[in-house]
Amino acid sequence: MPDDHRRAAVPDALERAGGLVPGAARAVSAETGVPEAHVWGVGSFFHLLARPDVDARVCTGLSCQLAGADALLDAARGAGVSCEGVSCLAACDRAPAVLRGRRVQPDATAETLGAEVPDWAGTIGPDGADPDRLAIDLAGEPDWSGTAFAKAEAMGADAVIEAIDVSGLQGRGGAGFPAAFKWKSVRGQPDETRYVVLNADEGEPGTFKDREVLLRRPDRVLEGLAIAARAIGARDVYCYLRGEFEIPWKKLADAIDRVGAAGLFPDVTFHMHAGQGAYICGEETALIEALEGKRGMPRLRPPFPTEHGLWGKPTLVHNVETIACVPAVVTRGGPWFKDLGVTGPGTKLYCVSGHVARPGTYEMPLGVSLEELVTAAGGYVGMLKAFSPGGASSGFLPASEKHRPLDFKSLADVGSMLGSAGVVVCNDTVAMPWAVKQQLQFFEVESCGQCAPCRIGTRFLREALDRHVADPRPAALAQVADVSWEMNEGSICGLGQAACLPLTTAMKWFPEEFGQ
Amino acid sequence: MSSQNPKRVPEEASDPSLSVTLDGETVDARPGETILELAERHGKDIPTLCHDPRLAPAGACRSCLVEVEGSRRLIPSCATPVADGQVVTTANDRIARHQKVLLALYLADQPDFAARGETPGGAQACELHAMADAVGAPTDWPKMEPLRVGREDRNPYVQFFPEACILCARCTRYCAEIESVSAISLAGRGAETTIATADDVSLLDSSCELCGGCIDVCPTGAMTEKMPVTAGRRGHVEPEKVVRTTCNYCGVGCQMDLHVEPAANDGRGRIERVVSPEAGTTTNDGNLCVKGRFAYDFVDHEDRLTTPLIRAEDGSLREASWDEALARTVEGLMGVHERHGADALAFVSSSRCTMEENYLVQKMARAVFGTNNVHQCAAT
Ligand SMILES: Cc1cc2nc3c(=O)[nH]c(=O)nc-3n(C[C@H](O)[C@H](O)[C@H](O)COP(=O)(O)O)c2cc1C
Ligand code: SF4
Ligand code: SF4
Ligand code: SF4
Ligand code: FES
Repeated sequence: MPDDHRRAAVPDALERAGGLVPGAARAVSAETGVPEAHVWGVGSFFHLLARPDVDARVCTGLSCQLAGADALLDAARGAGVSCEGVSCLAACDRAPAVLRGRRVQPDATAETLGAEVPDWAGTIGPDGADPDRLAIDLAGEPDWSGTAFAKAEAMGADAVIEAIDVSGLQGRGGAGFPAAFKWKSVRGQPDETRYVVLNADEGEPGTFKDREVLLRRPDRVLEGLAIAARAIGARDVYCYLRGEFEIPWKKLADAIDRVGAAGLFPDVTFHMHAGQGAYICGEETALIEALEGKRGMPRLRPPFPTEHGLWGKPTLVHNVETIACVPAVVTRGGPWFKDLGVTGPGTKLYCVSGHVARPGTYEMPLGVSLEELVTAAGGYVGMLKAFSPGGASSGFLPASEKHRPLDFKSLADVGSMLGSAGVVVCNDTVAMPWAVKQQLQFFEVESCGQCAPCRIGTRFLREALDRHVADPRPAALAQVADVSWEMNEGSICGLGQAACLPLTTAMKWFPEEFGQ
Repeated sequence: MSSQNPKRVPEEASDPSLSVTLDGETVDARPGETILELAERHGKDIPTLCHDPRLAPAGACRSCLVEVEGSRRLIPSCATPVADGQVVTTANDRIARHQKVLLALYLADQPDFAARGETPGGAQACELHAMADAVGAPTDWPKMEPLRVGREDRNPYVQFFPEACILCARCTRYCAEIESVSAISLAGRGAETTIATADDVSLLDSSCELCGGCIDVCPTGAMTEKMPVTAGRRGHVEPEKVVRTTCNYCGVGCQMDLHVEPAANDGRGRIERVVSPEAGTTTNDGNLCVKGRFAYDFVDHEDRLTTPLIRAEDGSLREASWDEALARTVEGLMGVHERHGADALAFVSSSRCTMEENYLVQKMARAVFGTNNVHQCAAT
């Protein structure tokens, strides 16, 4: 175990050393006892460590691209700023976003690139929602009373898990897996050292709701984590926040201090861990590897984290939003939560960005349609052409699907997914091959590189699309079906399994734009 | 993640108590073995690239995927333990399609020289291409843009061609798990992932012991022996002749296979490379050290003595027969013994002698000459 903890210290030690500058690997190796090549392997995996001397990282996510990120990058380069493109910064509602150091600058322009970045938050809604019908209630005052936790303590673990079960709460991180199932599984493990992990690595392009929860309701997050820890029999909670979340980090750290000082959750200890720039660490087993101080490469499953997670111990991993629903489920009851949704249980934080009037985070009943969501967000900008309902991994749907319920099942039925509910709207000025290219590039650089179908397949598809754009003949895309099939069948994790969807769904719904 | 050494399932598992359906046939499986091991014991030919029985499975190359009933996706047989009642299929249309497309992707990502079978250096160079042939992978896919490029490393023995590397991580896992050296690691991310030392330094400036094990395990020839490359010998060469011998650099007695080109050097022959016999077949279990694997160029070095020499009174050396030279040695030793006594003699044997030879040297010192003045150079 002491060895494990020294390894876990590697990413932080590299950050303190100023990133992967010459000699840093050797120094961190001496400090931690981890072989220097392995330190190098870790540092070179995470882009914030690997290239520490970049001053400005311009977001290349689809929403930021729609808002002129490319031009901004050119302008910054022209002005002699040390800059590069970076994957989605979880600020699609304030596009284009730029990362300065570890702080995200919203609404960036070439002129403001040198300016100081004050704390900020995004737009929330919908206006006029009834707080008694909201599980998270982003606009509500933080509640530091610990009422939900006290009630959970009085109910006992079994009753709490039962309430979660009745609520129908599904994971909000992407897969929609029933939460109660995981709680029961961890609680039933023979090993009594167990952990809770908060997944705040929010990186799915188009998604920024977890940021908003951390900024506005850190009380809900900590109380949910404490309830979960007690229910499954864990003492230690590890919060993994993406490295770009400097502002949310501070909010959560302050909240941890506050509940600690008040002695609200006496038997629960919160630990914070900063990501170092790698989308794949949102995948729960990659996140666990990263927490252990290793390269963030997803593990083979089974065994699942519930059985063999952090340091081999049973571990409950939850997304920020899932956890933030827990206090309301406990105080108001499972049936109340279940009843909030239209086609599925609960309310859902929908992130909407791209060509809409008021991009932001909207807490609405699970199963609203794009049309209802965009109405809440002030309407479309221009004429709707296509949308991506749940992050880059969900591919694209055509305007004709705008009345389909945005829930786990309805979207799966049409070959897409709700995923993280990062909805990106494209109007008719957008060429689909261009939009697809933004997504494919994302997967190509964010693949962990471990398994061949994903590492080679993502690049193969992007190169095929480039060939098609350069010379639109069907031959350019001849291998797409086979490669996509193989990526889905043969990849280790969800990244590779879904990475073909932007291309295959666009080819399906917009065949004419792909010469089909 | 998994146990350190998954392969070492007891050969005679006491009671093979698990029953598995393997391609429609019910077979006994040993608790703790993987599906791959079970399948291999039953003569199935499952392709593997990242698998090495000495290493914890990585499950990364995806070539060994099979179907297991109840699992939606194909699963890696190298990393999946058998279970009672499991129903496994190792060959069907789905698996065949998977193998073809996977190998086609690997090939599309390989540099031209590898596709021509000209990966420098390697008898080991063709595992990937042989597999692609075997599964019938299409070879007419567009080549991908070269991404990873080679870099200089002034070490004399190990050459890395990143463009031919398939990131199976056998080399890095070997270096960490078998050698306990960890000189190299997977580095970077995504399509740019490669194998590197810390700070990209030469292996000479890393903790590398130049054991060359990374070369031995590499299925593509991306990690390869530098001497043939330096000597300008490119291309995959099937060894003309293989000579099994015992390494004579130390007393461990590693077995090694000399790949010999008999016609070279005016018919005196030349060692092309030294490889270890397959893991699990000899005591060295697939391993060699820097001396055994690389220090063979003395064999046909021009300074090498090939006959005994006897020094004349005037200091000059002349060639002699073994009988003559041994007689001269006996004469000298006996002379010292007679004139100055047994303890005027001392015997030092070399660590390049075998244990049996070392035993005989001390026997000769003690029993023949009657002195305890005997030493072995590896004893200090
Ligand atoms: C490629 C990939 C990226 C992911 N990124 C995130 C993420 O950023 N945040 C998150 O909470 N879950 C993410 N997930 C899902 C997690 O693996 C995991 O399912 C989730 O954290 C479980 O929590 P939940 O049950 O509360 O959703 C990702 C999954 C994959 C395959
Ligand atoms: S699918 Fe991609 S991201 Fe996932 S393990 Fe494989 S290479 Fe890594
Ligand atoms: S030669 Fe041996 S010690 Fe050096 S990198 Fe290769 S495996 Fe590691
Ligand atoms: S160098 Fe060879 S052994 Fe190492 S990862 Fe590449 S292909 Fe595998
Ligand atoms: S041999 Fe099983 S995944 Fe490589």
